[in-house]
Amino acid sequence: MYVELKHINKHFGNFKASDDVTVGIEKGKLIGLLGPSGSGKTTILRMIAGLENPDSGEIIINGKVINNVPASKRGIGFVFQSYALFRYMTVFDNIAFGLKIAKKPANEIKERVHELLELVGLSGLEKRYPSELSGGQRQRVAFARALAPNPQLLLLDEPFAAIDAKVRQELRSWLKGMIQKLGVTSIFVTHDQDEAIEVADEIIITNRGRIEQVGTPYEVYSNPKTAFTASFFGQPSIFKDYSNFRRFDILENAENAIVRPEFVKVTKKNEVQKYKSSAEEGVVEEVDFRGYGIELRVRVNGVLLTARRSFDQPRIDVGEAVDVFIYRMFVTQGDTATLLENKSLRDPVVVI
Amino acid sequence: MSAVTQSGLHRDTKGSKLVRYSLIGISLLFVFLMLILPLITVITEAFKQGFAVYSKAVTDDYTIKAILLTLEASFFAVAINTVFGLCAAWSLTKFKFKGKKILATLIDLPVTVSPIIAGLIFLLTFGRQSPIFPLLQDWDIKIVFAVPGIVLATIFVTFPFISRELIPVLESQGTDEEEAAALMGAKGFTIFRRITFPHIKWAFLYGVVLCAARAMGEFGAVSVISGHLRGKTNTLPLHVEILFNEFQYVPAFAVASILVMLAILILVARSVIEHKGRKK
Repeated sequence: MYVELKHINKHFGNFKASDDVTVGIEKGKLIGLLGPSGSGKTTILRMIAGLENPDSGEIIINGKVINNVPASKRGIGFVFQSYALFRYMTVFDNIAFGLKIAKKPANEIKERVHELLELVGLSGLEKRYPSELSGGQRQRVAFARALAPNPQLLLLDEPFAAIDAKVRQELRSWLKGMIQKLGVTSIFVTHDQDEAIEVADEIIITNRGRIEQVGTPYEVYSNPKTAFTASFFGQPSIFKDYSNFRRFDILENAENAIVRPEFVKVTKKNEVQKYKSSAEEGVVEEVDFRGYGIELRVRVNGVLLTARRSFDQPRIDVGEAVDVFIYRMFVTQGDTATLLENKSLRDPVVVI
Repeated sequence: MSAVTQSGLHRDTKGSKLVRYSLIGISLLFVFLMLILPLITVITEAFKQGFAVYSKAVTDDYTIKAILLTLEASFFAVAINTVFGLCAAWSLTKFKFKGKKILATLIDLPVTVSPIIAGLIFLLTFGRQSPIFPLLQDWDIKIVFAVPGIVLATIFVTFPFISRELIPVLESQGTDEEEAAALMGAKGFTIFRRITFPHIKWAFLYGVVLCAARAMGEFGAVSVISGHLRGKTNTLPLHVEILFNEFQYVPAFAVASILVMLAILILVARSVIEHKGRKK
């Protein structure tokens, strides 16, 4: 493990920002710290950077405990959420700042800055001030500035939050490619699940100061271990009592059932459906256009579920009675989540 | 669609032509009566008996002494309030500590307290009745009815000007840029010089100018503590009063015109600074 946190606790007044956080990060990985706001993800990032000190616990980078190493000596590059570019300095001076503080020779600084400008695709803009750049360009400058002293670890706090949706998409893949190319271990904070899934090699999910689950995007999405993780991803419909859904095992002490849109298949009465016999009866309450397709809200056994259909499928109207087949659901018991499969999937299929 | 609503709203909020012109007219008339007319009067009264009398009044020994004392008091007030203002503004915006609200409120005290009372405070603190007066005498320090008292009173009155200009600017800046610089290894003074000061420069200069203007014009507090010793503890405003009370109208107006010119100079400096600050 390249970066390790061991039993980290951190309070801000009565607020517990980190609650016994223990997690390890491998060298060269791009890690997404994902959680709702107030879940303690930024605090973890700031403690690794040395901008905050933990109340207890150890922070280890490359085998050394660095709790008492000042922030500037940790070999860390930090990209702030607001970028925190020095607004009274040109792009060149912004990127050169850390090198000048380190008293590098002028020609070396110049070379390094131009190399970085080329890397981030901003050559020729070195005389501009931050206010004369677009949001995406500012982020690239912040990225170049953080990389200038050759950090071993790059930390990014909500790197895409301040950028409009279209540019954000571009920058995500740009940043992922860039970090992969450089091979620098990186941790970024985000509250956006799509962003984490798309960009990160591995996701650390935080909630109320605790680490909920660590794994690849695929693992945390499709195999959530905790009640929080199960309900965090996708666009879940959550309800209490699932005993009306006959084709699922009943677990003891079950609290909530969680159904994601992709677990639900909605078909018209006259459409062919493999599991028609075990489908539930539902009534469509809402039909919304979503660009990629249609989003439906269907009431089944008194529960409102979200489902999707594509444009090639026959049109469904509000108020229509439909067949609803649920492939899977997560059921939570206390803190844990269990995946239940529809029993019909296991039964031999009888085609009539 | 939205353009239509906007221009409709525009008309509603700006009012009719009649309202507009009468408001502008009232403002102009008021400024003329209250500001321009008195200024013209000062200048014409000063030159009433020709330039020779004017220049004699202005180059009078006591007048020169008063000018120098005013400049001296203003200089110290600006210098000391600069240091204090930076410290106070910095600590109020960048740190969290107990009593922060109280400090922020106390800084404004000189603006709300009458200058006469400010003068009295120093008179009572350092004067004959004060318990520390024997101590001051032992050390041979004269404050009341002497230059140090005038400087102190001027500092007190101009106390909040610089910090009050800096606080909103520092607040809006936040601490991200400083943190970023610190992360790259910059030390406190470098951070201040390279990151913070460029940001507050224009607000700071503006505060200095306001502070200087107020310091030069201060009458009340200084009047109580100065003792009106001609050539010793007489500042320009006090000198004007003395001349006026002695029915020397032309010299009084002549000296007053110096203050007026200083004020105009400061006004020009102020708008230059404001203009440059906005461009940045």
